[in-house]
Amino acid sequence: MTATLTAPTAAPVRAGAPADALAGIGTMVRLVVRRNRVRLGVWVVVLVGMLAYVASYYQEIFPTQASLDDFAALSDTPGIRALTGLSPAADTLGGAVWTKSWMTIALSLAIGVAFLVVRNGRADEEAGRTELLRSRMLGVHAYGVASWLVNGALCVVVGLGVAFVSASGGLDPDGAGVAGSLVLGASVTGVGLVGLGIGAVAGQVTTTSRGANALASGVIVGCYVLRMIGDLGDGTLTWASPIGWGQEMQPFGANRVWPLALLVLLAAGLLGVAAALEARRDLGAGLVPERAGRPGAPERYTAPLGLGLRLQRGPVIGWSVTVVLCGLLFGSIIEAMNELIADAEAGPAQDFLRGSGVDALLAMLASMIGLVTAVFATQSAVSLRADEASGIIEPQLAGALSRRRWAWQRLAIPIVGSAALLALGGTILGAVHGSLTDDASAVGTLAGAALAYWPAVMVLVGVAVALFGWLPRLAIPLTWGFMAAMWFATMLGEVFGLPQWLLDGLPFSAVPYVPAEPMAWTPLLLLTLVAAGLAWSGVERFARRDVQPG
Amino acid sequence: MPASEMAVEVSGLTKSFGTVHALRGLDLTVPTGEVTGFLGPNGSGKSTTIRILLGLLRADGGRATVLGGDPWVDAVRLHRSIAYVPGDVTLWPNLTGGEAIDILARLSGPLDPARKAAMLERFELDPTKKARTYSKGNRQKVALVAALASDAELLLLDEPTSGLDPLMEAAFTESIREVKAAGRSVLLSSHIFAEVEKLADRVTIIREGVTVESGTITELRHLTRSQLTVVLPRGADGLARVPGVHDLQSADGHVTFAVDDAALPGVLAEVARLEPISIVANPPSLEELFLRHYGDELAALTNGGQK
Repeated sequence: MTATLTAPTAAPVRAGAPADALAGIGTMVRLVVRRNRVRLGVWVVVLVGMLAYVASYYQEIFPTQASLDDFAALSDTPGIRALTGLSPAADTLGGAVWTKSWMTIALSLAIGVAFLVVRNGRADEEAGRTELLRSRMLGVHAYGVASWLVNGALCVVVGLGVAFVSASGGLDPDGAGVAGSLVLGASVTGVGLVGLGIGAVAGQVTTTSRGANALASGVIVGCYVLRMIGDLGDGTLTWASPIGWGQEMQPFGANRVWPLALLVLLAAGLLGVAAALEARRDLGAGLVPERAGRPGAPERYTAPLGLGLRLQRGPVIGWSVTVVLCGLLFGSIIEAMNELIADAEAGPAQDFLRGSGVDALLAMLASMIGLVTAVFATQSAVSLRADEASGIIEPQLAGALSRRRWAWQRLAIPIVGSAALLALGGTILGAVHGSLTDDASAVGTLAGAALAYWPAVMVLVGVAVALFGWLPRLAIPLTWGFMAAMWFATMLGEVFGLPQWLLDGLPFSAVPYVPAEPMAWTPLLLLTLVAAGLAWSGVERFARRDVQPG
Repeated sequence: MPASEMAVEVSGLTKSFGTVHALRGLDLTVPTGEVTGFLGPNGSGKSTTIRILLGLLRADGGRATVLGGDPWVDAVRLHRSIAYVPGDVTLWPNLTGGEAIDILARLSGPLDPARKAAMLERFELDPTKKARTYSKGNRQKVALVAALASDAELLLLDEPTSGLDPLMEAAFTESIREVKAAGRSVLLSSHIFAEVEKLADRVTIIREGVTVESGTITELRHLTRSQLTVVLPRGADGLARVPGVHDLQSADGHVTFAVDDAALPGVLAEVARLEPISIVANPPSLEELFLRHYGDELAALTNGGQK
C-alpha cells in the first residue's frame, strides 16, 4: 500500500489485497447464520419436504406402470409445458414427480436465495448497520462474501436433501442406480446458485432493498418466461434461460451433468461482477445516483388517495407492465401452441382441462392474470399496516384526517387498481389472441374472464384489512401466508390431495372458469359480499382501536 | 379558571398496555396562550399522554379535554387546530423533505408558502432532498417546519429538539417565543431542562405515569433550593447550623451553600450579620428539582453500581 500511496502516477488505489478485503469473514459468517437461522431452516424443510410429499403421494396413487403411462399422457398439455415444463421421462415415477414439483422448488429456491442475499446486503446497508460493521476491522467484501457462502451452502444443502429424499424414496427407475436423484439435486442447487448471483448483482445496482428485490425477482421471472416460450416452441429459448439449463439436465431421463457447469459458471460470473462493483463504489451508493426532488408537494398529495398513489407509483407501474407483458405473452403463445392443442384434444386431456383445449387454456391464462393481480392487491392492502407499524401514520392522523377516510382512500388503490389490472390483462390477452385467430369477440370474453377474478381478489384484500383491524401485529405475515397458501392450493392443491371442500372453499376456486365454463353471477356476488364485510369490519375496528406502531 | 381558558385539561388519566400500566392517574393542564413544560424520564408516560391527546390511543380511564373537545371522539375536528412534532420522526423515504412538509401541514389546513420558506431558511433545511438521505436532525427539522409554519392553536411537541445542534435549538427557542407571542398554546415535553426553563410558564413533572409536581416555574421554585455563593472575609461562623442551609463548603473565604427557598429571609439576615463583600445567587434549575424527585432512583443506581 505504501508504494501505491507514494507513487504519484499510480492507477486508482485498489481496495487492498484479497486477504484484507475478507478480514473478519469468520465473524460475519456466524452473524449471517445467527440472523437467518430460522429462515434458512424453513427453506430447507419446506423445499425438501415438498419433494418428499409429492414423491410419497405419487407413489401411492401411481402404483403401476400403466397408471404412470396414463398420467404421462394426461400431463402432455400446453398448460403444463408452459407452467412447469414436462419431463422427457414423464412415464417414470421420477419424471412425474419432476414435472409436478421441480419448477416450484427450483424457482422458490432461486427467488428465496436472492431475497436472502439482499436482506443481508443492501437492506443492511440501507439501514446503516453495514456502516457500523465496516467501521471495525472488516474487509470490504467480508460481509458480502460471508452471506454468499451461507446462501451457497443453503443451495447445496437443499440439493443434497432433494437428492437424498429422491434416492431414498425410490424415484430412480429400477436398476438405474441413484444417478437421476443426484442430477435432480444438482439441478436444484445450480438454479439456486444463479439466483444467488442475481441477488448479489441486484444489491449492487440499486440503493434500496425494495428496488434490489424487485430487480432480482424481475430477472428471475424473465428467465422463467424465456424457458416458457422455449418449452412451448422448438426449445431454443429454453437454452437462453438458466432455469432452462436446470431443466435440460433431465434427471431420470438423459441425466446430463454438464449444464451444471454452465449454471455454476454463470453464478460465479455474477458474483465476480457484484464484487467488482462493490470494490468500486461508496458505501450506501448504487449505480443509479440520488437526484434532487421537488421542493414542495402538489395539492393532490394532501388526500390519502393522492399520496398513496404517489407512494405506490413504482408498484402500480411495475404490476401494470407485468400484466401487459403477461397478456401479450399468453396471447401470442396460444397461437404457437395450435398443434399441441390439437394433439391434446384427441386424448383424455380434454376432461382433465375441464373443456376443449383452447378454451381451457384461455381460462387457465385468465386465472394466472388473476393470481398476478392478487399479489398486487395484497401488497397494496398490507401497506396500511406497514404505515402504522413504521409510525408514519401518526403525523398524518395528527392532521384533520379521520381514520376511516384514510383507510378507505388507501383501499381505493387495491380495489380500483385490481379491476383495472384485470381488465387490462384480459383485454390484451383477448386482443392478441383475437387478432391471431380473427376472433373479435375474444377481447370481451377474455376481459370478462379476467374480471371475474375481481371479487376473489377483493376477498384477499378483505382478509388483509380484517387482519389489519383485528390482529395488527400479525397482519402482515398472516396476510402473506394466506396469499401464499392460496397460490399454493390453487396451483398444486389437487396434487397434494388436499380435501375437496377446502379447495372449493378457496376464493379462486369459486370463480367460474370462463371461457371453458359459462359465466355464473351468484358466486361472484357472494364473494363480493364476503369481501365487503371483511373490509368494513377491519376498517371499523381500526377506527376504534389504539394506533399500534410495530 | 374556566375551561375555555385551558387548551388542555387532563385529570386522573389511566392507560394500560396489557399488564404494563403506562399512566396511573395523570393530571395535566395547558393554559391557553402559555407554554407548559412536560418533564419525566424515559418510559414515564409522556409520549403515551401526548398520543392520547391526539386521539391515537384511547384512555382507559380519567378525563382529557383538548381545546374544549374529546380528543378521541372529536379527533378530526380538533386536529385542524393542532400541530404535532414527534420525537422520532419517520418520513416517506422516497419523497423529498419539502413534499413531506406540504403533506403534513396541509392535513390541518392551508399552508402559507411564505411562512414555509421562512421556516426552511431559519432551520437551514434543503427541501429538495429525499427523506432517505436526511440525518435524524434533518428529519426532526421537517416535522418542526411543518408544525411551525402552520396556524395551529395548540402545538404538541414530544421532545422536539432531539438531534438538533445548538444553533438550531436557538432557532427553535425563537420560534416558540413567536408562537407564544401570537397567543397560541404549547405542550413541550423534553429532557432538556434548560430549554423548558427558558420557554415554559408552567411545568408538570411526571414519573411512572403519575403527576408528581405541577405549577408555574415560580411556584416550583418555592419547593427548591437556591444556590448561594458569598465571600465572607471574616469566616462563615455558625452559618452551617442555621436551619435551611445545606451542603456548606468553604474555601479562602468563598462560601457555597444551598438554601431552602422558604428559609431564605432568616438565612440572608444571618449572612448579612457576617458582613459579606460579594453575593451571587442562582435560581434552582429544573435539573435539581428533577434530581430530588428521582433521587431515590439515582441512589439505587449508584448503589447498584458500587456493589
